[in-house]
Amino acid sequence: MSDWSKVTRPIPVPNQWTQPFWDAARRSVLELQRCQSCGHFQHPPYATCVQCVSTDLKFEPVGGKGTIYAYTIMYHTGDKRFAPAVPYASIIVELDDAPGALLAGNLLGSPYTDAKVGRRVEVIFEKLNDDITLPQFRLAR
Amino acid sequence: MPLPADTDATTPKYLRDKYAIVGVGETTYTRGSGRTTRAMGTVAIRNAMQDAGLKPSEVDGMLSYSGNDSTPSTFLAGDLGIRLNFFMDVNGGGSSTEALIGIAIGIMEAGMCRCVAIFRSMNGYSQVRIGGTGARSAAPINGDALHGRVYGWQSAGQMFAPTFMRHMYEYGTKPEQVAMVKVVHSEHASNNPKAFYKKRYTVDDVLNSRMICKPLHLLDCCVETDNATCIIVTSADRARNLRHTPALIRGVVGRCSKPRADMHYQCGPISRVAGYYAKDILWPNAGVGPEDIDAVGAYDAFTFTSMLQLEDYGFCKKGEGGEYVSSGITRLGGKRPQNTSGGHLCEGYTHGMNMVIENVRQLRHDVDDYCPIGPDGKRQHTFDYREGGCRQVRNIEVTANLGWANPLTGSAMVMRRG
Repeated sequence: MSDWSKVTRPIPVPNQWTQPFWDAARRSVLELQRCQSCGHFQHPPYATCVQCVSTDLKFEPVGGKGTIYAYTIMYHTGDKRFAPAVPYASIIVELDDAPGALLAGNLLGSPYTDAKVGRRVEVIFEKLNDDITLPQFRLAR
Repeated sequence: MPLPADTDATTPKYLRDKYAIVGVGETTYTRGSGRTTRAMGTVAIRNAMQDAGLKPSEVDGMLSYSGNDSTPSTFLAGDLGIRLNFFMDVNGGGSSTEALIGIAIGIMEAGMCRCVAIFRSMNGYSQVRIGGTGARSAAPINGDALHGRVYGWQSAGQMFAPTFMRHMYEYGTKPEQVAMVKVVHSEHASNNPKAFYKKRYTVDDVLNSRMICKPLHLLDCCVETDNATCIIVTSADRARNLRHTPALIRGVVGRCSKPRADMHYQCGPISRVAGYYAKDILWPNAGVGPEDIDAVGAYDAFTFTSMLQLEDYGFCKKGEGGEYVSSGITRLGGKRPQNTSGGHLCEGYTHGMNMVIENVRQLRHDVDDYCPIGPDGKRQHTFDYREGGCRQVRNIEVTANLGWANPLTGSAMVMRRG
């Protein structure tokens, strides 16, 4: 099991596009930007829909279950803040409810060797400070 | 292999063979140059001018690329006594070499200048390391970058690794197959006096080296070095009066990208790389196809990047890259040797430039290796590719370079012997 207890993650700085995503995460809700014109989910949030260039975009809650699309195990890290956790799994998740919007995360709560393409995972929330809570993943229960 | 007749009528083939690389030069590949990028760049350009037989007054254009880790063209031109009619210093990495060669052709075709020196100068080991340590880690996380770095994704290898893992999942690619890229390139480097790493490696050496980020072992990753490199491009007409057999530029594609080139993992299939799109510009522009290519420079920031590009440019079928790179085809003496200098994995890291330089020398039929120098002062190639021997490809006529910035953006070029 990767030891995350000594890792101080860099704190994301929200901007006008990402603020609603972080506001929802603080409430332990996963919300993604969705085009109200063509229905496409996209992440990270942008000014326009990358499918149809509409600017009619809203954040909608999505279910947190999905599948590991790809992953890597980090044994060495340039950012030394992550060094205490190596080896750790960084995964890319395809959500059931938001095809096309892949989410990055770490696989928490089980050994890094449990990261495999196709494994079912679900979102959990890791509080970094009063402002920022980070969506993360664990194996689906 | 001789070129086929021109059959393509849709592309600007009047530019084929109209421009050439006439001079190449570099500094020693080191880890700890003790020199500024300005000093190294000046030496590399001077070496390339001497190689071509050009005086400073005959060079009037300059292009360079960097990630804010180099010295501007204007400084180097002044140091070398060059007065510029055109210069541009662009931001970028591995996909820049071939793209800037394309720009050089364009500005000369537009009558803006007559002879362009393209350089890359970097202390890639002792100052800004592409591996992601140092200054790059300390930068604040804002905007869109947060979707990687907050989860511990930082370096190029870490960012590309999901593409490699997904390829292994979709196509059954094996680490021991991909390790052959390092094995073959190291064999070639052992015959290159300039190579930073000249040792020959085995598949077991690669698989037993420490894991960096799955599936990349240490020996799947290229070497970070300090060095400068230069390529001089001018018209084929002018090239005929210069020192060497010119390397004529058949066709170029520059910084061709997948959709959503800002987010590596947002545009599936992530096992597909930019060559999938770039091939449809490269081959028609060059009037040749993969089968016509005698030697390849396939950007080897990592073993996997070489393999993925070979697939998507059509040197083998998608998904069969592992088989292709472990088949012996890519070795000196094989059907289509690649990275004959040892490439980024062994010779040194200079963001794509050295693999173009190598192919220019190959096309001159005078690559620098350990073959004896004859009474006429010319190297007598033995075509004995054993360690410490030859690395000249026999009867080479046409080469391809496949440049890589990341899975989403690439550049490429075909050259032929003039």
